[in-house]
Amino acid sequence: MLKEELETTAFLARIHIKEDEKEKYLADLNIMFDYIEILQEPDIADLEPTTHVTKLRNIWREDVVKPCPKEIIDQMLDSAPAKEGTFYKIKKVIAGTS
Amino acid sequence: MDEILKTRVKDLCTKIRSGQIKSIEIVKACFKRIKEIDPKVKAFLKLNEEHSLKQAAQIDGKIKTGAECGSLEGVPIGIKDNIMIKGESMTSASKYLENYISPYDAAVIEKLKEAGAIFVGRTNMDEFAMGGSTETSAYQKTANPWNIDYIPGGSSGGSAAAVSSGMVPFALGSDTGGSIRQPAGFCGIVGYKPSYGLISRYGACALASSFDQIGVFSKTVKDAFVLTSVIAGGDYRDPVCETGEQTDYACGIYNPDILKTVRIGIPKQLSNYKADEEITKYFGEAVNKLKLKGVAAVEIDIPAYKYVPALYEVIMCAEVSANIATFDGIRYGYRSSNGRNLNDEYAKSRAESLGYEVKKRILFGTYVLGAKNYYRCYHQAQRVRTLLINQITDAYKKCDFIFSPATLQMPVKFGEKLSEECDIFLTAANLAGLPGITVPCSFTSSGMPMGVHFMGSRFSDAKLFQITDAFERISGFDINKYPNL
Repeated sequence: MLKEELETTAFLARIHIKEDEKEKYLADLNIMFDYIEILQEPDIADLEPTTHVTKLRNIWREDVVKPCPKEIIDQMLDSAPAKEGTFYKIKKVIAGTS
Repeated sequence: MDEILKTRVKDLCTKIRSGQIKSIEIVKACFKRIKEIDPKVKAFLKLNEEHSLKQAAQIDGKIKTGAECGSLEGVPIGIKDNIMIKGESMTSASKYLENYISPYDAAVIEKLKEAGAIFVGRTNMDEFAMGGSTETSAYQKTANPWNIDYIPGGSSGGSAAAVSSGMVPFALGSDTGGSIRQPAGFCGIVGYKPSYGLISRYGACALASSFDQIGVFSKTVKDAFVLTSVIAGGDYRDPVCETGEQTDYACGIYNPDILKTVRIGIPKQLSNYKADEEITKYFGEAVNKLKLKGVAAVEIDIPAYKYVPALYEVIMCAEVSANIATFDGIRYGYRSSNGRNLNDEYAKSRAESLGYEVKKRILFGTYVLGAKNYYRCYHQAQRVRTLLINQITDAYKKCDFIFSPATLQMPVKFGEKLSEECDIFLTAANLAGLPGITVPCSFTSSGMPMGVHFMGSRFSDAKLFQITDAFERISGFDINKYPNL
């Protein structure tokens, strides 16, 4: 992994990395990259991937909006770092503002 | 330590119910022991002394009136800090969740409440269960009670240390790559990870969803069985938790004939790794003890064991990056005040509140899931996972349980690293969704315990309890020995 790839990955992962931390991340991640190489070794041409060991099946329900009790809304909002009324408060996301 | 703390769970339940022991006596004894030794061990992040004593007194009152009791009425238990209890904090040992209050009970907590168990406190762990030593906790390092210069293992190191040193009779943990069974081995107790889908994970903090399971720590196999029969069972709120009876607990645990009827498979691959000398020696002795009682031991061949560390790292990190994406500082948890815009706020909230190990795993996981890398990295790993599962399935044609040392190394001192192969026989169970139990087997010359691991086929959990209970009876390990602290 090169420094530019680390920066792109960190942006995708939404993790801010300071300039002086980059070297350590690169060193450690490059060791982990060996794992990817090891997994290229076996002959698995005819094998399907395993995502889960269970046989998952979809459980459908009617797409109906149900009112949420006020108590639960309050409880959820109480955990928020910032709120206004019944909304989570975040920074503006409209282009051109910051 | 108080003799009452040596009472086995089943006896404790019976005696509390009959009034022979008062719940408040055992709860007080637990807190006395915790106050005496936890300043050295640091197993607990938080204690609920006042509430626990109040609850115990109420239970004792209720028993006097002859009211109906739950199956764990008045019995104290430790809970790993990644399982939600309504109205209580849950940090997952991360700064990100420092002030988080759980809005609801985890499924296992609902069942334990109904059974009458008393939650004495929250046990320490690696941050978001990422680690094998409990050193990545953002709050404290837990020590191995047998020698406090050494790690207890992890990620459920707090639960393992608390049970091993007699602070609580049993505890809950979670196991994604050996996080219950490895610290159980290092601390000389029983650690059980169920078949994938046997115990609901609703209300537990996710690490890698295709591996995660909640499980138990106890001093004996029977105690683990008692607790498991309370918390197991289908739950629609965990989409992989199988509904319907998968394991027959009614069959009980004591099976006098089991040793004469089972075959254990010993992986040929054991010889490929350099295990600690004493681990090899005592494991060999354990095999001989089983053979003497009539167990058939066969060699099994699973060449894909060599891919276990790589498989685990790639798939686990991919799932971590997806799961931990939920920690964005918007709806709950830590929010940075240094963000210039929304993206910057996400990035700084995560950077400032998550530890290095967590961030490294998120970055690796994000990379292997990237559009350009997905097929070569993640998809490839999932196919190699199929290869491993196929080979394990084949091995079960020759044997009923796969038997190995729990770990290939003894615990290390703080700051030292375990080898990447140390836990492979444990991690294979997570990759294949299989149940596994670590049982203590011997004390080594260092005075520290070591364990062995039995891995069963899917949903063979009840039989796995029987074989491990039978092994416990012949192992010669003194379960009544507690660390001197």
